[in-house]
Amino acid sequence: MTNSIDEIRDADLLFVTGSNTTEAHPIIAMEMKRAIQRGAKLIVSDPRKIWMADVADIFLQIRPGTDVWLLNAMANVIISEGLTDNEFIARSTVDFEKVRETVAKYTPEEAEKVTGAPAELIREAARLYATTKKAGIYYTLGITEHTHGTDNVYCLANLVLMTGHLGKRSAGMNPLRGQNNVQGANDAGASPVFYPGYQRVTDAEAQKKFEEAWGVELSPNEGQNLNVMMKSVIKGTVRGLYVMGEDIVISEPNASKLEVGLNENCEFLVCQEIFHNVTTQFADVILPGACFAEKDGVFTNSDRRVQRVRKAVDPPGNAREDWKILIDFAKASGYPMPDYASPAEIYDEMASLTPKVAGISHRRLEENVMGLQWPCPDPDHPGTPTLHIDGPLKGKADFQAVEYRPSAELPDDEYPLVLSTGRVLYHYNAATQTRREAGSVAKVGRNFIEMNRKDAKRLGFENGEIVDVVSRRGRVDAEVMISPRMRVGCVWMPMHFAESRANLITNDAGDPVTQTGEYKVCAVRVEGRNGNGNRNPERQRRA
Amino acid sequence: MSSNRFDIEINGKACSAEKGETVFEVAAREGINIPTLCHDTRLEPAGACRVCLVEVEGQRRLEPGCAWKVSEGMKITTESDRIERHRKVLYGLYLADHELDSEGLPVETGNGNQLRELAMKTEPLALHPVEAPRAGRPADENPYIRFEPDLCILCARCTRYCDEVEAVNAITLANRGSQTTIATAGMRGLLDTTCELCGGCIDTCPTGALVEKKSPDPLPADARKVRTTCNFCGVGCQLDLHVVGTNGTSRVAKVTSPPPGETVNDGNLCIKGRFAYDFIHHEDRITEPLIRGEDGELHPATWEEAIAAAAEGLGKVKEKYGADALGFVSSSRCTGEENYLMQKISRAVYGTNNIHQCSAT
Repeated sequence: MTNSIDEIRDADLLFVTGSNTTEAHPIIAMEMKRAIQRGAKLIVSDPRKIWMADVADIFLQIRPGTDVWLLNAMANVIISEGLTDNEFIARSTVDFEKVRETVAKYTPEEAEKVTGAPAELIREAARLYATTKKAGIYYTLGITEHTHGTDNVYCLANLVLMTGHLGKRSAGMNPLRGQNNVQGANDAGASPVFYPGYQRVTDAEAQKKFEEAWGVELSPNEGQNLNVMMKSVIKGTVRGLYVMGEDIVISEPNASKLEVGLNENCEFLVCQEIFHNVTTQFADVILPGACFAEKDGVFTNSDRRVQRVRKAVDPPGNAREDWKILIDFAKASGYPMPDYASPAEIYDEMASLTPKVAGISHRRLEENVMGLQWPCPDPDHPGTPTLHIDGPLKGKADFQAVEYRPSAELPDDEYPLVLSTGRVLYHYNAATQTRREAGSVAKVGRNFIEMNRKDAKRLGFENGEIVDVVSRRGRVDAEVMISPRMRVGCVWMPMHFAESRANLITNDAGDPVTQTGEYKVCAVRVEGRNGNGNRNPERQRRA
Repeated sequence: MSSNRFDIEINGKACSAEKGETVFEVAAREGINIPTLCHDTRLEPAGACRVCLVEVEGQRRLEPGCAWKVSEGMKITTESDRIERHRKVLYGLYLADHELDSEGLPVETGNGNQLRELAMKTEPLALHPVEAPRAGRPADENPYIRFEPDLCILCARCTRYCDEVEAVNAITLANRGSQTTIATAGMRGLLDTTCELCGGCIDTCPTGALVEKKSPDPLPADARKVRTTCNFCGVGCQLDLHVVGTNGTSRVAKVTSPPPGETVNDGNLCIKGRFAYDFIHHEDRITEPLIRGEDGELHPATWEEAIAAAAEGLGKVKEKYGADALGFVSSSRCTGEENYLMQKISRAVYGTNNIHQCSAT
């Protein structure tokens, strides 16, 4: 997030897109609700009529995967109606002309045909966003989990830049991060292209710095990101894996191919985990780790806030804190890893090599109850709640002209429905934790498929009926949930359930930049068990 | 000085105030304590409990400090014989319609009871108990939230929280007079309402009429609090883990939020943060290192054996196919320090930049 969570309550406009905030980020949603009660305007764009849509001033219920059309059309309106912040564009950006040329053909009328959102609402949304000063964009995986996810993000950034909604409180570009420490994991260099603090592995100077600090030669080549790595497991070019705290099999798209890869090609798999999961079934060695309540350290949240994690209880049985396991593993692998006495010492080493967090230490975090937000370059720096507030952090921002590309797999006769997957409030990702919690299970106990009443009627489904959801990649069972939230022709399923895994059928076609799979759009049919539902046209033809 | 800022006087002390602020807000900033039961900084003032009544010069009646807006030159008195007399009667009225212990003081649950604390400071007027058949929901099967109707003072903090902050409107005040109670639609159990089990109603209840079902009630006196960061989504809510027991047997028995205004979550939590902690001590936790044997099954091993097997297994892959045939999947669920170590292992120990976590999925 360029801005901070506590700024949301003072916003005058919230543009929430591809984020079911009340379910995925309930406490941020409370801040949004507070802003709305204060009178802030709310624009929501989402294929589903989510809770936020019910209280929105403008709701754009777009067809899944048509975000580029919507966002370019909003840019078109902002430019053609002269609502751009020309001073900001001149001072802080480059390549605006490219975007102006590209979006010229993305008129609201044409956008209506592709997205399904009325042209007049697109105009209103664009005007409201451009003309409100404290206007922030909030998005999450509904924007990024597409083969054009990077394009979607570029389009949002274009809107922010052309309106100058940057470097101001309660505005900005705010991706809401999914996991407790996904920000911190990236910050710490768990990335194939960056050392800690976003220093490129291809930068010879950075390489030299880390070689000196760690006393070994380092690879100058960029590594593989997780999605590519998993495809390499399938191909057999990655043959050994060390997986800490992630259920890759339940989380990756088109999971059955990955299972075959793990069985046939992966010669050695180490899992460091707190529970058995789908991935540990393939493990050669399992190292029992500690959960958050059993160790010290830091998590970094969505607004770049580094906060302490404190040990409250011991890990169970012979399980150990993960940082201790990693030190021993490094030593057993022949590397002289220092005997860090505590995570505070590990953090100090990282901070000494990472200018962005150089001013942060466990000691300072003890004194700062609210945590410290990076950039925090020295021990006297108070942290940075709002990025770019004292002018751009560096150089000028590039506009990115983006053309619409359809999603990789569109519905056809054989697979006539569009499936998006996501999360519900009551469970968390692979749900190894929340499925062991009575209230979560009482609220949502099994896999379901949300669909519009018209589709259910046409296909002959009753609420609560068990059906099979089938794609080119696999089949899973789910309970029909008839829902006014869905568009006709679109269905939705959560990804939490190991026995009915949505990711057996999702599409692993990846975004060209991030390789993120297209979890939000794939083509399916839904088969009933009593001859109802979509039928396989092949089978019908043969019969 | 802008015309929106001016001075007021509280108990003879000059206090700087801003237009739109309430007496309660200015007093709190000045460190002057005005007692209240129904006020919560996250909610619009309701002026319902009448505990915070203060004297405002020029006003005939006592006025509620939580709702009374300041104006230039206003003179406020928060402690006086008149206010004390009011409190005596008010607390007496509350106690006449409240479950009392053998000493005649409000019963305390694991969630505390601020009325008890107030009654211990100011001796309430003794009144005959009133017959108040306030309905509860004894058959409510939700696993987390219990309502004790005899401890409810109808301040509506819970229903206002459910409306104004969580905005799901699962609970409401219902019925009239002495039968008024906290109800759901049709008195259904919370699982069959719009309730999202965030537990904010428990957190805001001043008298412990809303209680956590799954925590010991009350917690043992030697329970300790550990401030930490929630391990679910990326908001970074701060939690206080309440730990009972010692050393090997210690357990997390309750989770609460730090008070409003102190941390990023402003006193709020969701169902996962507040209640989904059973996994910590679940019997399914992996408690021994395991190595897959020749028989294809996993067998318990010592740490030395398991670490050596892991290093040897990955070492062999590197020997056969090169460092880039290895992949290290770090975890957005683990700490920053652990992620730092994992990428250091990938790069410095095994020589590959094939290190990532789930941030692109």
